[in-house]
Amino acid sequence: MAGIAAASEGAAPARASTPAVVHRRVSAAAVLVWGLIATGVLAMAVPLVMTAYISLFRDAVVVFPPSGYSVSWYARILEFPRFGDALGTSLRIAAMATLGSLALGIPASLALVRYRFLGRGLLNVLLLSPLTVPGVVIGLSIYVLVVETEIATEVPLIGSDLVLVLAHLLITVPWVIRLCVANLVGLDRSVEEAAANLGARPWSVLWRVTLPMMRQGIVAAALFAFIVSFENIEMTLFLIAPGQTTLPISVLQYLEYKVDPLVAAVVMVQTLVIAGLLLLLDRYVKLSRIV
Amino acid sequence: MSDTYLRIEGLTKRFGASTAVQDVNLDVRQGEMLVLLGPSGCGKTTTLRMVAGFVEASEGRILLEGRDYAGLPPYRREMGMVFQSYALFPHMTVAQNVTFGLRMRKLPKAEVEARLAETLEMVKLASMADRYPRQLSGGQQQRVALARALAIRPKVLLLDEPLSNLDANLRQQVAREIRGLQRAAGLTALMVTHDQDEAMMMADRLVVMNEGAVQQVGTQEELYERPANPFVARFIGHSNLIPGELAEGERLMLPGGGAIRLAGGYTATGPCTLAIRPERVRLCGPEDAGARVVATVEDATYVGAHIEVLLVLPDGTRLILHDPTDGGAARRFAAGDRAGIAWDPASERLFDSAGAPLAARTPVPA
Repeated sequence: MAGIAAASEGAAPARASTPAVVHRRVSAAAVLVWGLIATGVLAMAVPLVMTAYISLFRDAVVVFPPSGYSVSWYARILEFPRFGDALGTSLRIAAMATLGSLALGIPASLALVRYRFLGRGLLNVLLLSPLTVPGVVIGLSIYVLVVETEIATEVPLIGSDLVLVLAHLLITVPWVIRLCVANLVGLDRSVEEAAANLGARPWSVLWRVTLPMMRQGIVAAALFAFIVSFENIEMTLFLIAPGQTTLPISVLQYLEYKVDPLVAAVVMVQTLVIAGLLLLLDRYVKLSRIV
Repeated sequence: MSDTYLRIEGLTKRFGASTAVQDVNLDVRQGEMLVLLGPSGCGKTTTLRMVAGFVEASEGRILLEGRDYAGLPPYRREMGMVFQSYALFPHMTVAQNVTFGLRMRKLPKAEVEARLAETLEMVKLASMADRYPRQLSGGQQQRVALARALAIRPKVLLLDEPLSNLDANLRQQVAREIRGLQRAAGLTALMVTHDQDEAMMMADRLVVMNEGAVQQVGTQEELYERPANPFVARFIGHSNLIPGELAEGERLMLPGGGAIRLAGGYTATGPCTLAIRPERVRLCGPEDAGARVVATVEDATYVGAHIEVLLVLPDGTRLILHDPTDGGAARRFAAGDRAGIAWDPASERLFDSAGAPLAARTPVPA
């Protein structure tokens, strides 16, 4: 009893100062949280900021500190070996991979969410599994497969857009399915039932109700598919034909023998293409609500 | 009835080993509002969804104007449904929502416009035609859902818990509106609800369901005054259910000792259940000639509309009594007092062990 009394007596003055203590603790936590956020943002931003910085150096050889600054590298961007060609290939492959992955991924998502069938679980795992295998491994495997097929059939495959697009589908389809499934799961099924109740046939329900309601998911999926394909390097490295190139690959090849502000400028352009795409899409779909 | 419009015959739905709906038979008359009422999981929604065509029946038939609807896909059924979640098309305006069914029917443009105007007028949403569902209040969304179902001039209007997402104070008003529109259009309607008040307010007749089976079909008064079994007695309004053993046709022996003097004379003997409504029970003096049993007052609570008195019967069974606040007897008793309990013969319902009502042998004296 005496102990309890003493403790409560001892607690009384402490209680008076509690608000200050709590306040200080909250501040410490806040400092930690903001510190972590700042570190994270910094870690993400530093490479980009450094690249942007270097792209403005005047000297052809990267030295610190630079002797001066200049935007002339951007004007000389077309001097980058096969810049237009590489960018064109990248955009073309990414666009085809995006369309292809939507064509495969949207029906697959509908099937996975709406129907119960034999092997559904297996299909689900298979469709997402390429994300778990390193790109280099997939690239090499496809390369071996394609070469063997070429030898067997004598149909030239290596270097065709088709092989590259098919390979990219492996990594873009999982993204499309993942985003569309998440979107579909959140939809109220009775909306589709209402359409049927009002006289809409199944295809009409799909076209007029289900797909429009999936718009957010589809846009997000298209975006991810495009970026994943556009930036892919590991798989593409194996499957690209001699003489053919994509932007990330030409950057890699350039960096093998030279580091100068020109390549930094090219990377900045590539980043701006993606950023521009994101901004454009954000006008139609609030990205913050999806990602 | 000869004017059966929608007939449900032996409708059964099994999901694997469990039976969701068991042999449901219903006749819905032309222009009638039939309300399926029951606790959640009683099969009422599954029944409605079978009528709408969203769920395929395992057995039984759904006949509309004599035509079998089994196997007909939902889009051919000509039934307008109002969903619990309203299920409005989020990417369409009010006008597009309401005309959806008309456009699916490929009606001429002028006809579509005319029906849109007429329907929006009906639900008082003419000024909202260009809004999107997310810009409307819950009550307005509900009216759009109703308008959308009415616009196709359905053969049957199906309502799945149409009021459950509305604020309590809006519910009565919307209930009356729906009822008014349904009556004015002479529409045959089938509604599902778990809310007894809603059902009572909306229905021409009610169907009480439990565990997949129909318990009783009837008007509000029939269900309330003459429940077919203890479940209905307890589910519609409240009832004290007192189990016991029927002795000499006129006394209910309580399992823990003591007896209740019954009002009617019964031919049956054996275990049975007495159902008596709290508001049909009166308090009287313990020595009063009308007292059917003497109990102890445990508690009395003034709840506004009445005084709720909790009584303990001789064997410990509890019984609830609603005593009028103006001139009732409850105020004369304090907790712990002994009190006589009386009721009119017409208020007494007795069920045998299978739940079937027992008829009084002697016409109950007034």
